[in-house]
Amino acid sequence: MTRAVAAVAAWEYRLAARARWVLAMGVAFALLAAAVTVLALGTVRGLGSTGIGPAGAALVNLGVLLPSLMGLLLGAGSFAGERDHGVLTMLLAQPVRPSRVVVGAFLGLAGSLWTTLAIGYGAALVLLSAVARAEDVPALAALVGATFAVAASGVAVGAAVAAWSGGRLQALAISTALWILLALGFDLALAALAPSVHLGPGGLLVGVLLNPLEAGRVLALLGTDLQGTALGPFGAYLLARFGAGGAVALLAADLVAWVVGPLALASRALARRDL
Amino acid sequence: MPDAYLEVRGLTKLYRSGRGLHGIDLALPRGAIVALQGPNGSGKSTLLRCLAGLATYRGEIRLAGRRLDRSPASRARIGFLPQAPAFPAEATVGEVLGLFARLRGAEPDGGLPPGFLPPADERIGALSEGQRHRVGLAVALLGDPDLLLLDEPLANLDEEGRRTVRDVLRARCDRGATAIVSSPSPTELGAVADVLVRLDGGRVVGREAFPADDPDPDALGVPR
Repeated sequence: MTRAVAAVAAWEYRLAARARWVLAMGVAFALLAAAVTVLALGTVRGLGSTGIGPAGAALVNLGVLLPSLMGLLLGAGSFAGERDHGVLTMLLAQPVRPSRVVVGAFLGLAGSLWTTLAIGYGAALVLLSAVARAEDVPALAALVGATFAVAASGVAVGAAVAAWSGGRLQALAISTALWILLALGFDLALAALAPSVHLGPGGLLVGVLLNPLEAGRVLALLGTDLQGTALGPFGAYLLARFGAGGAVALLAADLVAWVVGPLALASRALARRDL
Repeated sequence: MPDAYLEVRGLTKLYRSGRGLHGIDLALPRGAIVALQGPNGSGKSTLLRCLAGLATYRGEIRLAGRRLDRSPASRARIGFLPQAPAFPAEATVGEVLGLFARLRGAEPDGGLPPGFLPPADERIGALSEGQRHRVGLAVALLGDPDLLLLDEPLANLDEEGRRTVRDVLRARCDRGATAIVSSPSPTELGAVADVLVRLDGGRVVGREAFPADDPDPDALGVPR
């Protein structure tokens, strides 16, 4: 990591950690995670099962949906805000490549979001520790890892949206619309298309890879259930085609691509546009 | 005409509105303080942004014979103060100067005299416009750049602050830097300016040595 990347990352981390709305989102995530865990633990007790069981699965949707929205808004709001207010102009007037500023800002913003999410998950993990067994640890690690990856892709996509958009409000509006599309519209479109165009499991996999939220959800579910039963026939296809390790690696690589690609687009936009 | 330190040839920057810069040519000597004067919309800020590598343009800019572009190597030679320097309201003065000093590999005071800058622990959001301007000026001066591009550096400063800025500019330029300073008034820079360049409608409409004892008037290509 270069000096410039580290300096910008530390700067963005500090600023994001002081932002009240980031704190508010962190509190909301912590409360929701705790509430979902309490409800799911009630189900675990009612079923008489052991371990975290459905409590982990219940956290998957929360861990994919809310952090991705937080990441998108944080990335778009911070980048576009800094450009609108002229802070980005001051940064890019220094002897540093736009890509370094983008990567540094991404690391700082993602780091602050990861800290917020870790605190939020902390509340849930304290509750889960009463019933968790040693064999539940990998599932929880997969859940937290998938959440962090989806949040990071949200920050990166938000930054790219901000770099190409006309202003902060436009960037936030586009990011929110994009999240609605990825969280709801994409699934609906796939469900509608799959039977009519005979999409098949290969087509569904492409659909999953094209949506970081879906890739994160499948990754977290695979982590909680390495037999893939929670994913139904699609899970069986994934495991038969790639094996458990291969499927996890494929989805993780996809999420990394969802970070690297948008950051490259953001860097390109900043290198070319007038400030 | 002797080789100029800063050469601008055919610099053109057009906006959709039709405004912008129309083929600016300039040749300025090393060590000069250049007052850039013109009415609002004459292209002063656009020219400074093009020189700073913050805007795309047609034409060529050379500093000491080396082409200036948008690369980090070019930007390392330039200190830029925008008309309204902006920093996040939540950051402190010390954090701002620390960040930009790290990016430049420089000491974080910009070489300004003690007392000129607000306290390091003061939040940017609590500063007056004039104090924010002082922080912006310190950022522009970090790392002893060869070319200082300052957009209205005397705005919002009291007389003592203006005197300090003039003294710092003179000292920097006596050590070899060249400064281009936009100003709404031709007399604002007082006796420290060596050259006056007038812009109007995106064109250079006048240049003169200002005052009479500029460092190297022949290099300016302007009559004495």
